Amino acid sequence: MKRASGDEKQIPGEEEFGSPFWEKRGVSRRDFMKFCTAMTAALSLPSSMIPRVAAALENDNRISIIWVEFQSCTGDTEALLRASSPTVAEIVLDVLSIDYSETIMAAAGHQAEEARARTIKERAGKYIAVVEGSIPTRDNGAYCCIGGRSALDLARELCNNALATIAVGTCASYGGIPAAAPNPSRAVGLSQAVPGATVINLPGCPVNTDNLVATIVHFLTFGRLPPVDGKGRPLFAYGKKIHDNCERRAHFDAGQYVEAWGDQAHRKGHCLYKMGCKGPATFHNCPIQKYNEKTAWPVGSGHGCAGCSEPAFWDTMSPFYRRLPNVPGFGIEATADKIGLGLVAAAAAGFGVHGALNALRKDREPGENTREEG
Amino acid sequence: MAKIVIDPITRIEGHLRIQAEVNDGRVTDAWSSSTMFRGIEKILQGRDPRDAWYFTQRFCGVCTTVHSIASIRAVENALDITVPYNAEMIRNLIIGIQVVQDHVIHFYHLHALDWVDITSGLKADPVKSAALAASLSDWPLNSPTYFKGVQEKLSTFVNKGRLGPFANAYWGHPAYKLPPEANLMATAHYLEALDWQREVIKIHAILGSKNPHPQTFVVGGMAIPIDPASQNALNAEKLAEIGELLKKARRFVEQVYIPDLLAVASYYKEWAGIGAGIGNYMTYGEYPREAGGKKLWLPPGIILNRDLSRVCPVDHRKVAEYVDNSWYEGDGKPLHPWEGSTEAHYTGPAPPYDMIDTNAKYSWVKSPRYEEKAMEVGPLAKILVAYASGHAPTRGAVDMVLKQLGVGPEALFSTLGRTAARGIETLLVARELPVWLGNLTASIGGGDYTAHNNERWDPADWPAEASGYGFHDAPRGALGHWIRIKEGKILNYQAVVPSTWNASPRDARGERGAYEAALVGTPIADPNKPLEILRTIHSFDPCLACAVH
Amino acid sequence: MSSQCKFKRYIWELPVRWSHWVNAACIVILAVTGLFIASPASVGRAPSAFSMGWVRFVHFVAAYTFTVSVASRVVWSFLGNKYAAWREFFPLLTAKGREKTLAMLRYYLFMDKEVPETIGHNPLATTAYALLFFLYLLMIVTGFSLYATHAPQGILFTLFGWVQVVFSTQSIRLIHHLSMYAIFGFVVNHIYSAWLMDIKEHGAEVSSMFSGYRFTIHRKDD
Ligand code: HEM
Ligand code: HEM
Ligand code: NFV
Ligand code: SF4
Ligand code: SF4
Ligand code: F3S
Ligand SMILES: [Mg+2]
Repeated sequence: MKRASGDEKQIPGEEEFGSPFWEKRGVSRRDFMKFCTAMTAALSLPSSMIPRVAAALENDNRISIIWVEFQSCTGDTEALLRASSPTVAEIVLDVLSIDYSETIMAAAGHQAEEARARTIKERAGKYIAVVEGSIPTRDNGAYCCIGGRSALDLARELCNNALATIAVGTCASYGGIPAAAPNPSRAVGLSQAVPGATVINLPGCPVNTDNLVATIVHFLTFGRLPPVDGKGRPLFAYGKKIHDNCERRAHFDAGQYVEAWGDQAHRKGHCLYKMGCKGPATFHNCPIQKYNEKTAWPVGSGHGCAGCSEPAFWDTMSPFYRRLPNVPGFGIEATADKIGLGLVAAAAAGFGVHGALNALRKDREPGENTREEG
Repeated sequence: MAKIVIDPITRIEGHLRIQAEVNDGRVTDAWSSSTMFRGIEKILQGRDPRDAWYFTQRFCGVCTTVHSIASIRAVENALDITVPYNAEMIRNLIIGIQVVQDHVIHFYHLHALDWVDITSGLKADPVKSAALAASLSDWPLNSPTYFKGVQEKLSTFVNKGRLGPFANAYWGHPAYKLPPEANLMATAHYLEALDWQREVIKIHAILGSKNPHPQTFVVGGMAIPIDPASQNALNAEKLAEIGELLKKARRFVEQVYIPDLLAVASYYKEWAGIGAGIGNYMTYGEYPREAGGKKLWLPPGIILNRDLSRVCPVDHRKVAEYVDNSWYEGDGKPLHPWEGSTEAHYTGPAPPYDMIDTNAKYSWVKSPRYEEKAMEVGPLAKILVAYASGHAPTRGAVDMVLKQLGVGPEALFSTLGRTAARGIETLLVARELPVWLGNLTASIGGGDYTAHNNERWDPADWPAEASGYGFHDAPRGALGHWIRIKEGKILNYQAVVPSTWNASPRDARGERGAYEAALVGTPIADPNKPLEILRTIHSFDPCLACAVH
Repeated sequence: MSSQCKFKRYIWELPVRWSHWVNAACIVILAVTGLFIASPASVGRAPSAFSMGWVRFVHFVAAYTFTVSVASRVVWSFLGNKYAAWREFFPLLTAKGREKTLAMLRYYLFMDKEVPETIGHNPLATTAYALLFFLYLLMIVTGFSLYATHAPQGILFTLFGWVQVVFSTQSIRLIHHLSMYAIFGFVVNHIYSAWLMDIKEHGAEVSSMFSGYRFTIHRKDD
């Protein structure tokens, strides 16, 4: 028998959770255990927490989810469709109650809006809102309307009645691509659009579905959102830099760099630093969690990280094939080094001329009137 | 006369609103608007052209590869870069599996519920479902026990009284015609397809690092290196894994998707006479067969007025966009994309609103026209052009489908035809994908490990000014990106996207876009439950994030 | 040396001189290693090589040394003699300072023929030093905030992590990189001016930074 620390309720031991609930749904005990173990690991929880995670998932009271899309590309919804443990079919039928999601729901038009309104009303304070896409603020939000209402208006209603809101993807978290300069629609992220809401950010372009599932599992297990960093992101997924978990790090330290696509170093998996990799500036668990059931991740496959989980990465991480951003106010070809060297050269030239002029001039010797006292 | 609004149109990508006039049980006019704008074309100005693909890829997370492909092709065209053979084959694999996966998701998860009444499946006899399925294909899962299991799962779900995404739909609508056992079979495959798509799209992860939004594209080729002697490159093991997934993809398409499509279609044959629309079809062609990508497997072309006896050539200079009914600044002249502009200027109603005044500008979608003519693009256009051009595999597949349904080629000009053409395209591509994998494997086996052409990677080697365009025939049809480069920076960037063509509002002369035209004449049993409108709209597989971008 | 500068005076105390030369050495090391970090050469022969590792290690050791040295100079500006005092660095705050600065500026701009004597700091130079100290601070804050990201649970991150939230990591890298050139700009000016004053003022400018002594026109108790 294991016990969670503190005053927690009795947790069933491993031998006890044959999980009739899941077996009824065609999930074997082994698969269920595997899933709970994977989730506990993803959440960076000690393995003693596995039974507790399992207990939470056996709860038949499926939590209601309202998933809205604003200025989105639907990439995050697509990411959810790639979820593997649980699979999206399980999520839809067994784990959650997806009461609104424009991409998958059967109802349309008024009937769809009705379904959303009913959930907001009947489950006020009990549903989780998931927001995908940024929110435009220009012209009273007219740049994104659904059923004649602005995203801004919908977001306020939705988030203010929710138990908690999960901003999925960089757009919903920080404004993302619509907010890239010059931000034509004056798009903002959710927590900026609805300042009072309880929001957790799961940036990424798109979100890594494992992180989304793990966040929900954390919520189901502990009844609260996981701890976050200064940018509102859960530490279990954004607590370390790509660069510090990267499988190519040994090559970085060694001084072995890809210099051109397809060169020897590229084929051998050396470091992509000189190709503009933004792993050293990006907090995300891609190297560990990877994508599509741990099949691969960008740097692993040979292209640098673009920093997609960082606020304003579209402007700060680009140009993507250079290590440093452009210097604001200068052209695209004016790198930091060109500008810096120009500055130093100008100083040197200036003083060179000064020196030459000095050599020509004839000074008066310092005298009484120019002496310094004291 | 009833004026109806459907907003949001669900089971599509993005924000689409249809306003329609219904008289005596038929749609007499329709207006298609998109109500969301981001302005990525504007955002691209002044940036590094090599970065463009990463931005444009975010036009859409459903067709997640297509705007990266079109973008790098546009830059490669502008800078006159020849893409190596291996890179073309890798791109073909990525494009091809995107088509297959996207179309299957569309059929089962976005379109099926227009034809399939899930709740009726509860009344089915699983033995009958199995018998029906067995008569269609020898897919191993189709047993009575299997269908019984699905039915039980479904009834547990329904009995809890919380229908989640299936709540409040048009269940029981008189336009649903499938018998319960067919509904149960389709529901089972709806769930199966969810698992299947997740598996087969791993090809994107193997070649592209992840999906959605793969990340190994790069101007000049691919950023995934090739080296059979390295674990960090495309090697024999990965090629074999792709081969396995391709088999899985093809089996499902041949044994589940196409049989289901034909079975469902056979109950809805009247839809072969509904929803034809414009009657002009355009495709840019796809799947390069050699380095540089000039020779294509599926031919480009235009068919006018449903005349299958003539295929006209495509010339990118004849594409131009109107903004007379779209919320942009413009002086009424259609602009070729090199001259195009995207200056948002919203003049629609202030939210919240009930109706958009369609006598004024009414959408964020522009109105692209080819030589002033509205075009329909998409699987149907691709299939018609290939069919009319005598493309042998297409002729075989089309004839097979027409024969099984007992209809002639004219049936293709319809809502049902669009849905069938999508299946035919999927089948063709699922069968051709192993060929490209074979070509790639043979080339690597022959010692060619090149996947990138470095000659013009460095902007220092670029001309001071350049312009180019990139074509790609995406799952939803003809996609073009146009770029102008000046001193290493993007001077102008314009995309004319499949859904821009299809979802376009009226042009300056009042000619309707493809959705609008196709809706005219659609029968409506109950204006409060306009299921029939969804059928025709969904047959296009709308993607509005694409359309507006 | 001018015949008039005949009185030897102790101006620069040991901590001032030490921190000056330690800083100068650190900056040279930090700049060389920093430039390598910014655009490394592929010098590693095997994955077991550690060239970037060493370069970064040297950068960080120099960074700590530099930080301690800068901090001790700041402390000394409260403890040391009047030439070392913090007030010296803000001559523009007092009327007399402004007058002296103006005189020096006039000389620099060839408007005056006679170089004003300075016993301690050249007031024009100290204004530049104040800016330089700001750059030091910027390098230290940006440097440590970048350094701290390797251990976001650590104490350094607690101290400097906020910088990552206020600015993006990329902006911090850019600022760290560009500020190095700003320091170079100062150094060019500084060495030139030290040399200029050395010959013009005849007060043993340069050697004073080694010995601590300068030569003046007047005796200390004049
Ligand atoms: C990286 C290179 C250098 C830096 C950053 C630097 C910085 C400084 C600073 C901050 C001071 C003010 C000292 C204090 O009050 O603590 C100073 C003073 C001085 N430095 Fe340097 N220094 C550098 C190199 C040199 C060199 C190479 C020379 C000799 C040619 C030199 C000669 C002097 C002299 C003569 C003074 C006293 C002048 C005055 O304040 O009027 N420095 N330097
Ligand atoms: C005068 C002082 C310094 C100079 C001239 C200097 C110079 C540089 C330069 C040029 C870079 C490369 C920046 C880039 O292009 O990304 C760099 C990187 C770095 N410096 Fe310094 N540095 C100085 C002080 C410091 C200090 C005090 C620290 C504190 C630990 C520090 C920590 C770092 C770190 C961590 C990096 C790596 C940044 C990254 O790539 O993420 N530096 N330095
Ligand atoms: N329309 C469209 Fe796309 C596609 N296929 C792109 O070009 O869907 Ni998102
Ligand atoms: S964060 Fe990325 S994937 Fe998500 S909606 Fe925005 S652009 Fe699409
Ligand atoms: S590839 Fe990128 S993340 Fe990995 S070690 Fe190199 S720079 Fe760091
Ligand atoms: S681009 Fe994004 S997906 Fe991971 S590797 Fe970089 S954070
Ligand atoms: Mg466009």
